[in-house]
Amino acid sequence: MAKSDLLQGTLDLLILRTLEQRPLHGIGISDRIEQVTRRVFVVGPGSLFPALHRLAEKGWIEGEWGELENGRRVKVYSLTRSGRAQLTQEKRNWQRVFTAMNQVLAEDV
Amino acid sequence: MSRARRTAAFLRRCFCRQQVEDELDEEIRAHFESLVERYAAKGLSDAEARRSVRLEFGGPEEVKQTVREQRVGAVLEDGLQDVRHAWRVLRKSPGFTAVAILTLALGIGANTAVFSIINAVLLQPLPYFEADRIVQLESPGDEPDLLIRYISIPKVMAFREQVQVFEHVALYYPGGGRMNLTGGDRPEQVAGMRVSSEYFPLLGAPMALGRPFTADEDRPGGPQVAVISNGLWHRRYGDDPGLIGRKIDIGTASYEVIGVLGPGFHWDSVDIWVPLRADPNSISHSHDYYAAARLKPGISLEQAASVMKVASERFRKKFPPEESFFGHGFLTAERMQDVLVKDVRPALRLLLGAVGLVLLIACANVANLLLARASVRRREIAIRSAVGAGRNQIVRQLLTESTLLSLAGGVAGLFLGYFGLRALLLINPGNIPLIGEHGAGVTLDGRVLAFTLLVSALTGIFFGLIPAIQASRTDLSITLKEGDTRFGPGVRQNRARWILVVAEIALAVVLLMGSALLLRTYLALRAVQPGFDAHNVLTMGMSTDEPRFYKTAAVAQLVRSGAESIERLPGVEAAAICSSLPLEPIYEMIFTIEGRPLADKPYHGMGAWRSVSTKYFDVFRIPLVRGRWFTEHDDGAGAPVVVINETMARRFWPDGNPVGQRITLGKGLGAPYEESAPRLIIGVVGDVRDDGLNSMPDSTMYLPPSQLNDGTTEVDSKYLPLMWAIRTKVTPYSLSPKIISEDIQRELRKASGGLPVGQVRSMDQVKVGSIARNDFNAMLFAIFAGVAVMLAAIGIYGLVAYSVQQRTHEIGIRMALGAQRGDVLKMVAGNGMKLVLVGLCAGIAGALALTRLLSSLLFGVRPTDPDTFIAVSAGLLVVGALACFIPARRATKVGPMVALRHE
Repeated sequence: MAKSDLLQGTLDLLILRTLEQRPLHGIGISDRIEQVTRRVFVVGPGSLFPALHRLAEKGWIEGEWGELENGRRVKVYSLTRSGRAQLTQEKRNWQRVFTAMNQVLAEDV
Repeated sequence: MSRARRTAAFLRRCFCRQQVEDELDEEIRAHFESLVERYAAKGLSDAEARRSVRLEFGGPEEVKQTVREQRVGAVLEDGLQDVRHAWRVLRKSPGFTAVAILTLALGIGANTAVFSIINAVLLQPLPYFEADRIVQLESPGDEPDLLIRYISIPKVMAFREQVQVFEHVALYYPGGGRMNLTGGDRPEQVAGMRVSSEYFPLLGAPMALGRPFTADEDRPGGPQVAVISNGLWHRRYGDDPGLIGRKIDIGTASYEVIGVLGPGFHWDSVDIWVPLRADPNSISHSHDYYAAARLKPGISLEQAASVMKVASERFRKKFPPEESFFGHGFLTAERMQDVLVKDVRPALRLLLGAVGLVLLIACANVANLLLARASVRRREIAIRSAVGAGRNQIVRQLLTESTLLSLAGGVAGLFLGYFGLRALLLINPGNIPLIGEHGAGVTLDGRVLAFTLLVSALTGIFFGLIPAIQASRTDLSITLKEGDTRFGPGVRQNRARWILVVAEIALAVVLLMGSALLLRTYLALRAVQPGFDAHNVLTMGMSTDEPRFYKTAAVAQLVRSGAESIERLPGVEAAAICSSLPLEPIYEMIFTIEGRPLADKPYHGMGAWRSVSTKYFDVFRIPLVRGRWFTEHDDGAGAPVVVINETMARRFWPDGNPVGQRITLGKGLGAPYEESAPRLIIGVVGDVRDDGLNSMPDSTMYLPPSQLNDGTTEVDSKYLPLMWAIRTKVTPYSLSPKIISEDIQRELRKASGGLPVGQVRSMDQVKVGSIARNDFNAMLFAIFAGVAVMLAAIGIYGLVAYSVQQRTHEIGIRMALGAQRGDVLKMVAGNGMKLVLVGLCAGIAGALALTRLLSSLLFGVRPTDPDTFIAVSAGLLVVGALACFIPARRATKVGPMVALRHE
């Protein structure tokens, strides 16, 4: 999916949800999203990093320097408390939108 | 909480920029390395892997840029970065930066200077309580739309009755009065003023001690009381709080000091105020006073005007207009500030227009410099846009540079303009109202600072925009491939530069024309035959404002003995007194001609009224045309006589001889001005330009002071000081001037029983003072025009020099092919001269349209004077030619080989 099609809010939700399970570094996040969505969402660095920095600035996630097995220094992001609260809220929102959309689509013409 | 965090993040980026950038770089590079490794694991070589990653995800720099862009405060941050970059760029080319800042400083400085005068004179309110409610009460003159500040008591009473619109209707004698502080060993002449009891409440004058006059003290025959200025209290009485209730001597009378004004209160330079004591029931129609009032809160000028319209009609019915000197129109109130600045407002507006042109020229010049630089910087800009800078970013960057330049120019201009102006005002305060002594009232307040800041910012955008847009339009592929600048910039860019230079020249021509016309005025004013000889005349004022001089005989005695003792001094040729000096304010008087029937008015004419002693005509060397002078026998005992000037003779006796005719002065005015007996015209003297060097002489009547009635003498003594005029054998201020002046002062003190004299000036100084404002305008215009021409010349020079540099290669080829030096010179300089000619023509057209705005400031020259236009054009051509030929000559010195090798 091209990056312009990926709604910003959707990307934020995807990232928050991914980090809910465990802290990850950038490539880990995009791999995980790709894997879980079965390559429906492919997040390139051009959308990933702006989103990560935006979320960090809002205080929903925070980055910490860590080291990979091969010794490379990477920034590992984890969900903060306010990020967790935000995620709950966004999940609920998404459920509402999702239900609404389904109702519209399921309606008999 | 989250806002605090974001702010913290923003601040961290501002102050720990390098660290933030390093971390971002490392994070993203690590990510890309991981991706590359992943591709390499699929069996690609390192280079291939990198290429694939780049193709799929873009480069790390792009990613970093998108991260930066969506951060909090990204715009601000970019701004800071732009400023930092601009600063570096400007510092790298100090020559360019210095020239640009200097040019802008001249333009902005000139504007700051003129604006600070306008601020002090037109914008700052008068220093009185709610000054916009203070109005001058005026009465209609004989011509439509002519308003006269002089006013009679019945007219003032018509205002006083309108209690629903006016309060504190105050009466006062116009300025210029002097009083003698006697008592103690230091007699001193100070500016004094008679005012009614409403005067201080009207102005909301703060009292440091004591109180203002009461209405009781303002009644005829009331007690002798005085209010003094804070300055006088400090200077003469050492801030003594015990002064209140004490008596001080003014002349031979003693006055009780009842109040000292607060330090912030000024009215001209008046130091003493005493009650006016006008009789409110007087029905004299003599216009002796000024009057001012305060509009009631919430009342507008228009409301007051409509009320006064009705009141004027009532007044007209009560007093027949021809007797009460009620001209066309209505009694009127006008804001006092507007009245005070009426004379200078048009000139100040013109000056503002002129400096606006100077600023435009400065802008054009800097824009030109920027364009020239932009073509040199094309490669830099092309590279920046190749690595991802958007067009907006480039425009923004260039605008930041120009704004930085203009702000620097603004700071320099602020100092240049403000202190330059203060220096100019020290030399010539230009007789401008409300600017204080030597321009002390011209202050650097918030409004001036805001003005300069605004002008600088707008300037920066104005001159920066064209070059910025043009630079951002550069076609990348062409610029980068071009490789060098041998063939010069595109045609479009050159055209912009040509237009700018032509505009600069045209504007400079307009200013130069204006300046030349004012210079002609300056010269014409000095060439005017004023009708009197000002050289070697010393003048001084002697206040006779004390009861013993309210009688004609006493003043006549003072004049006689004073003149005699002065004339005994060596070095003195003749001495005389006059009610006012030539070129200084005088009053007018109506007269009727004996034996001639009256037409529509109760009098035949009106003329300037001067009381002058016998030697006045000798002192000022005013020629006798007909009849005879006054002699000592034309005194109180002799028959009343009068001497008139040629204009009056011509106007009222066009075909006959006025000598031997009789006129009566002030008929119908009542006491004291109505004279009981007609005066015999004994002589006609040459005209004197008493109203100013630039206006034609008016009808004038000269009377011997010994023949005035006591009432007139009393008003005279209270109103204005007696002016002494003494012709010396040498210039009063050259050869032992002090001694002569001091001798005279000593003799006068002796002859007058201790009266001090003040306002000691040579008549030459009086003459220069009367045209100070013309000179001030001419001086400012000359400075502005000089700056304009200099900037325009720099503009032409720069353009030609630049084109020489750009075309060195081409010139080399031409010379290699056999072109002679003369050909090259003609080609290069010819292009420049074409611009000069086009600019000159445009400028002349502009000047033809604009110089008539100057008409009111001109004298002795028409706004479209052909000689001036030709001279200015010739001068500009010479300057333009120099600016073209100097750089063009350099082109011819280039050896063909050097030129061909030139990159």
